[in-house]
Parts: sequence; C-alpha cells; structure tokens
Amino acid sequence: MRQVSIAAMAVAGLSILLLVEGRAQEPAGPETDSLQAAAIAAGERIDGLLAEEVFSSPTQGTSEPAPLTSDQVFLRRLTLDLAGRLPTPGEVTAFALDPSADKRWRAAERLLADEAFGRNWARYWRDVIFYRRSNEQALLAARTVEDYLSDEFNSGAGWDEIARSFVEATGDVREQGSTGLIMAQMAETAEVASETSRIFLGVQIQCAQCHDHPTDRWKRQQFHELAAFFPRVALRPVRDGMMRTFEVASRDRGGPGRRPGNRRGALEHHMPDLADPSARGTLMTPTFFLTGAQLETGTSDLDRRTTLADWMTAESNPWFARAFVNRIWAELVGEGFYEPIDDLGPDRSCSAPATMEFLSSEFIASGYNVKWLFAAITASEAYQRESRPRRNPDETPFLANRTQPLRSDQVFDVLTTALGVNPEGQRRGRMAGGYGRGGPRGQFAATFGYDPSDPRDEVAASIPQALLLMNSRMIAGAINAGNPRGMLGRVLQTTSDNEQVVLELYLRCLAREPSNEELAACLVHVRTAPDRGEAFEDILWALLNRTEFVLRH
Amino acid sequence: MSQEIRHHVGLAVRRQGVVGRRDFLRVTSAAGLAAGSFAWTDLVSLRADELRRRGMACILLWMQGGPSQFETFDPKPGHENGGETKAISTSVPGIELAENLPHLAGMMDKVAIVRSMTTREGNHQRASFLLHTAHVPTASIRYPTLGSVVAHELAVGGGELPAFVRIGRQFRNVGDGGLLGSVQDPFAVTDAARLPDNAQPTTEAARYQRRLSLLERLETADRRTDIEQEIVEHRGLYKKAARMIRSPRMETFDIGREPENIRGAYGEGDFGAGCLLARRLVEAGVTFVEVALGGWDTHDDNFNRTRGLTARLDQPYAYLLEDLAQRGMLDKTLVIWMGEFGRTPRINPRTGRDHYPRAFSVALAGGGVQGGRTIGRTNEAGTEVADRPVTTEDLFCSFYHSLGIDPSKENMSPIGRPIKIVDGGQAVSELFG
Repeated sequence: MRQVSIAAMAVAGLSILLLVEGRAQEPAGPETDSLQAAAIAAGERIDGLLAEEVFSSPTQGTSEPAPLTSDQVFLRRLTLDLAGRLPTPGEVTAFALDPSADKRWRAAERLLADEAFGRNWARYWRDVIFYRRSNEQALLAARTVEDYLSDEFNSGAGWDEIARSFVEATGDVREQGSTGLIMAQMAETAEVASETSRIFLGVQIQCAQCHDHPTDRWKRQQFHELAAFFPRVALRPVRDGMMRTFEVASRDRGGPGRRPGNRRGALEHHMPDLADPSARGTLMTPTFFLTGAQLETGTSDLDRRTTLADWMTAESNPWFARAFVNRIWAELVGEGFYEPIDDLGPDRSCSAPATMEFLSSEFIASGYNVKWLFAAITASEAYQRESRPRRNPDETPFLANRTQPLRSDQVFDVLTTALGVNPEGQRRGRMAGGYGRGGPRGQFAATFGYDPSDPRDEVAASIPQALLLMNSRMIAGAINAGNPRGMLGRVLQTTSDNEQVVLELYLRCLAREPSNEELAACLVHVRTAPDRGEAFEDILWALLNRTEFVLRH
Repeated sequence: MSQEIRHHVGLAVRRQGVVGRRDFLRVTSAAGLAAGSFAWTDLVSLRADELRRRGMACILLWMQGGPSQFETFDPKPGHENGGETKAISTSVPGIELAENLPHLAGMMDKVAIVRSMTTREGNHQRASFLLHTAHVPTASIRYPTLGSVVAHELAVGGGELPAFVRIGRQFRNVGDGGLLGSVQDPFAVTDAARLPDNAQPTTEAARYQRRLSLLERLETADRRTDIEQEIVEHRGLYKKAARMIRSPRMETFDIGREPENIRGAYGEGDFGAGCLLARRLVEAGVTFVEVALGGWDTHDDNFNRTRGLTARLDQPYAYLLEDLAQRGMLDKTLVIWMGEFGRTPRINPRTGRDHYPRAFSVALAGGGVQGGRTIGRTNEAGTEVADRPVTTEDLFCSFYHSLGIDPSKENMSPIGRPIKIVDGGQAVSELFG
C-alpha cells in the first residue's frame, strides 16, 4: 500500500510517480491526437464565444468568471463526469505531480478511452429512458439497454446511429438493447412518439396531445401526425422457458382498433375527437413536424420508422444535434443553454446561441462523434472553472461550473470502491449488477436515484439518503476497523503514522488531501478517542457523510 | 382579521415555497403581538386554522391486485355472477356486505360505500397509477401520488416524523412526489413489525454524538466558496435526520409499545400491524399513511383466496375505525379502502375472476364522510353501473373535499406547465350531506 504523502512524493519526483501511476501512459495514436487537437481548439473557441456573447454584456451581478479549479477538484470532477467513479489515490497523486501543461486534456483522453466511460453514460441514458417508464415490467429491459449503450459508446458509435437504432428497434427486449425506449412505453403509440421527440429532439410536442400548446407553436394535429409513425409497433409477450419476456415487432396486418384513440389493433393512427372520445377520430398521415415531410398512410411499419430516423438524424435538422449538445453541456458545465434540458422550444430562449450553434454544427461535422463532444467541452475553461451556487435567472450564465448531485450508480460505485467492498460480487446471472428491485444497486437506486431530465435544483437530497449513509448495516460492517481483511483494518495494520491514515482515507473517500484544519481536527479526534480503531471508524464515517461525498462540484 | 393580515396570509399561501406559510405565521404572530397591531381574535383564528389543517389526516388501505367487489362490498347472492358468496346484514338496516366481512358489518354506520366506481384502465400498472394520482401515466408529466399531494397541502412541516409514510411491500406503480419533488416522496416502512430501515444508530448514543460533532467540525473546518450553499443545506438535512432518529417520537414506529389488548384487537398478521402503526403515526401528527394488502389478483380459485384475504382485512380494518372513533380522531381522519379495479362478474373456468374496471366498489369512512350509506349501485348481474357512476376524478375530488384541499389548484411542471391536482370531476356530495 502506498504510504507516501503527496508532499513527500513531490520531493521524490517523477520516478515514483510512474511507479504509483501503474497505468503507464500509452503514446497516443495519430487518430486520438487529432481528436484531442480538434477538441482543444474547440474548447478555446467555446471560451471565445462565451466571452463575446455572454460575459461582455453582463445582465446582473458579477461578470467575473470564477477561477479555474485546483488540480484535485478538476480530476475528481472529470473522473466522475467521464467514468462515473473517483480517481484512485494513485491517480490523484500522479496528477498532482505531473508537471506537464497538457495534463488536463491528457486525463480526459485517458478517461474517454476507459471502458467505464461507456458504462457511466449508458447508465445515464438508461435512467433518461426508464425514469419515464409507464410500467414496472419495462425494467426487464433496463440491463440490456445499459449493456448495449455501454458497448456503443465505448466503440465510438455516432449518436445518429444510436438514436436510429432506438427508433427502428425490433426483437426480444432482453436481447436487443435498442428496444428499450419502446419497451419503456409499452409500445403505446402516443407515448413512444412523445418520448422520441423529447429525448432525441428536445421538443416536448406531447404538450399538444390534448390541446394546442398555449406558448409553443406546435399544433395538436402535428403531435398526432408524429404519432402516426408508430401505430404499427407491437409489443408481444413471449414465454421463453420460465422467463417471461417481450418482443418488439411490426404489425402490418390487423383489424381496426377496439378503443378510441387507436390504441390497439389498428394500422393507422387517429387523432381522437375531443368532443366525442368514443368516436374513431381523424386519420393521421405520418408527417414530420419539423420539416413537413410526409409518408403515405399504408406505409409499412419499418419503412415509417426508418424514414423518421432518416429525417430526424439528417444533417439539415439542427434539433437533433442541439438536443444532445444541450444535455451533455448541462451535465458537464452544470446548466444548459436551455433549461429544462429536454425542452428546446421553439419559443424557448438560448442563453448562449452562438456557442450552442458552434457546438452543434461541429458535432454534426464530426459525424455525431460523442467522444469529440465530451473532449471539446471538458477542454474549455467554461468546464474547468470552480463551482458556484446555482444562479438566479437574471444573473450571467456560465461564469462558473455548477454542482450536481451524484447519480445513484455513482454514489454506489464511489461508496463500494472507497470501502473496498463488492456487495454485487456474490450474485450471479441476470440480477448481478442489475437494476431490478432485487439487486443491491437497484435497492440503492430506490434511495439515491433521480430522473436525469429533471432540473437539478429540484433534485433535493432526502432524509432516507442521510439515514442510509449514517446508519446502514452494510456500511457499519464495511468500516469496522476490527476486521483485519476490511479496508480500514488493513490500512491501520500497515500504517502506524496517523497522519498517513487520515490522508489515505481522504484520498479514498474524497479524492483529495485534507486541509490543515481538517487534518488537525482528525488528529485531535484520534488523540481523544478511547482507541485508535474506533477513532478512525468515526473519521471514515464522517467522510462518507460529508456534503462533498455525494456531490460532483 | 385585518385587511393587511388577510393579504399577507393570501400571499404566503399563494407563494408557498417562497414565503412559507408557517414561517409567515411565526413571524407575524410574534411581531404582531409585540406591536399590538392586530387583535387577539385575529391570532386565534389564524392559529385555529393552522391546528385544523394539521388535524386533518388520511389513511389509505391499498388493496393491491384489484379486490373483488362481489366478495366484499357489493355481494350478489341472488345472481349466478355472485358465485357462492353470501350476504350478511350489517349494523345499518338495508345495507348488506359479503359474509367475509363480519367485523366490518358491525362498523357499517361509520362507512360509506361507493358501489358505482368506473374507470377504463384494466391493466394493473396503469390502473394503480390512476387510482393514486387521478391521472393515467404519461412520460411527460410526473403526476404526484395522493399521499404526496396531501402531505404537500396539509403537512405543517418541521416535525420530527415524516409527513407521508407507506407501510408494506405490495406497492407497484403507485407514484411518488413526482413534480412536487422528492421532498414529498413517501417514507417507506417495509415491515410494520420492525423499525424502519436505517432509523437506528449503529453505535451507542454517546459515540453517535461524537461522530456527529466530528462531522460538523470537518464540514465547517474551511470556508468553501465552491460548495458553501450545499454545505449549509446538507448540514440542515443531517440535523433533521439526526433529530428524527434520536427523537422520542420515533417510538411511534414501535407497535410493541402498544398495550397487549389493543394489539390483539388489530388481529394477527402484517396488515393488522400496518393498521395499528397507521393509527399510531396519525396520532403522532403524520399526515398521510398508506397501508398495503396485496394478493387480490384472483384469476383462479377466487372464492378461497378472497376468503383468506378478507380474513386478513376484516378485523384490522374494522378495529382501525373503532379505535380512531374511540380516540376522537375519526372525524379528522379520512380512511379510504380501494384497489386499482374490481373483478369480472363472470366466473371463469378456473373459478377465478379477471380484471374489471367498469363497475366496482370503494369504501370511505371518517373525515366528515357520513357513514351508513351506499352511493350508486350496479345492476343485478354486477356488469354495469346502474345508477350514479363515479369517476376517478369524482372520487379524488371527494377525498380532497374531505381533507379541505382545493382539487383545482395548479402545480407547475418542470417545463412550466400548470397541472391541476385533479382535472375535472366533482366531489360526490352524497358522501358528506
């Protein structure tokens, strides 16, 4: 176990750094080099544009951007944002000692190549899709969606390809991850249409489902014309041995729907008659509301969905790129160009239109390269500034980064890694690491989970969260110093210097060194406690319960 | 009440969350009293209003799976659809219940039955959501569940116990705080016979206190401009959580403290324990408690299975009403019995009954509801509502009427769309008149 403080290591120099780091830096290939070069240029451009269009004309309050973060805050933020975990004590130390000027984007490059990047963002999009599920049974597909997206993000699939696969999906929901969006809405025509639009286009056209929207331009008929791309999507129960599952399929033959609003059975979508809900309603022609492009009624299911995917992901459709850019920017910088992040208008205002335009057109030009977007944003000063509290609406945007509560998977992974435990380890098969009610990760999500589309100022920490971190038996067992195989027991056995133990615990839990005041408070606690093991159990307990522990700032 | 006070109260209520109602009262009553700017009677009327609102509570007995109306509140002994279930007379002449509910029959003067509920949702998940929110589920709006709305509207806040508690494991698709935010999510107690998860310190009290002090010292050791606000909020949350678990009122969760005769009166089993815990919580100031009894999805062997379920239901339900009445709490506690739908009049070849949302029963008691009456009826075959159909919206308007909540009040969705608590419908006046 490494027992050398960062200060001591700074003296010892680079040779130790390389030993500690463990992951020797692979020389970057020409491809990643050009990605990084492009990303760095983009980062500078972002900062130039923001200075021009936002900071030069401050609205209220200060217009002085916050300073850039310290290295330790930066590395923790970046590692959580890209890989969903904390940097290891070795990574923190190595980063602190690395004298090179380009170490921040080198770190981004390394993390974007880490398998954890795909897993982290797959879980994010799994939550985007499944927090709006209409049925608990939909969770059957959650793990499949997560695995599928994880592979797609890691292999560098374009966002257009991924979005297309969700719109066109068919097959068993436990085998085809791309069926997740349809499964989450149980293939209900109107709900699939509204989620497709919200998630991929950032347009909440479903508000026009029942009446013309009071503030937006979309008309009720336009929503139902979008729904007309999906009436032939069927979800069929399948019995596969003991396991019940579902299959997304096309249903191009069939009788008229039994219910008004054309919910089941009919081959075409009808807009319900508001005055007479039991009537059949008006036949809708599949029409893409953003361009007016139409398909004929009678078109087969797959032709409808393929065509919609073509139109949606066309380079000439700016909404598709904007929706993704806005969401990822908001997650990384802490506030969107548009808020809420899945509602872009048309009559919503953008807080930095030129910056948004630049990023979305470059994202299109990159071939919807997801990693490029992450690299570009994380290279900017806008990303790298210190955090400040959420601003009032009339204050200048983007002067600082904004804190985000960690998502449930992140808290779970940070906690279990810090304590060196693996509650998922004994589980095998489908539920292992699963999202269902049974698994430890799923139970954790019941307390710490939130819908990533919700505005962050409305995601409040809760009493059950505090109770879990303070009093759960799992944690009490894992921090037990008396267990010689437990993390704390091992650290105490191998490290006699109390200051070193404090440092180790800080690095593991918060990925930073203690301040002088914190170190002093901890050492006083050790001196006054009845015994050493108990004292460090208390310190570890306190670190897990700190504000920082559940925050990305 | 003086014009100015009236104005301020109105403002405080309208802008809840910006100017908290309670904070307003605390400030104005102290300041007003000191300055003598308004009369003592004004103060009393403000306080009385507060106390009355705080006094209102609601217990929802949730019958997960869809209980058969034929075997509970709407027996049809004279018709083949009624099956083998007989009817019994009750303490109210002219009202009969299924023979499965003998205890409840004795409490019929407290209960009003709506026999003419009708909805169009025959899927468990959609119907469970509907009967908890008065809305069908949709991806775009997260409608808050009944308990969250009631807690949001009625709970005074600042108490040591949560405002909304859900007891039991049998909850599926029943919603949460939704657009009201996670602060209105229910506090879950999976097993009424045990204390809630994580609600007890894992160390002895003195050491727990030392840990909290250490945490506080570390949190405030440095001035952190980057997360200053978050630290303030987090410390507030931890103070509240620590106060809650160290509060003597947490004993409320311990039904073992109840006298033996009372525990016995609630009967054996989880549901009885849940009902007893519900009463203890309401008595201690909790606003909304939901208790689940699951297993009503009787597609086969309906009669035997329903007998088993009603045996678990009958005594606790009846004694809950009696206990609340004896303690003088029933007038201010609305007790709802319902599931997501009823069951088919036709008995299927497996002696089961399938899902039937078209005509089924719910039962209400307390909270100003006039017991000893039935509202609406089904036809002889039980296939249709023959009189006085009651929609989900009507039912929810009735709940809110009982609790003194305006069902047309609008809350804002995250995209700034105003969402009514209930969209349309009218309170069923026969419940109250």
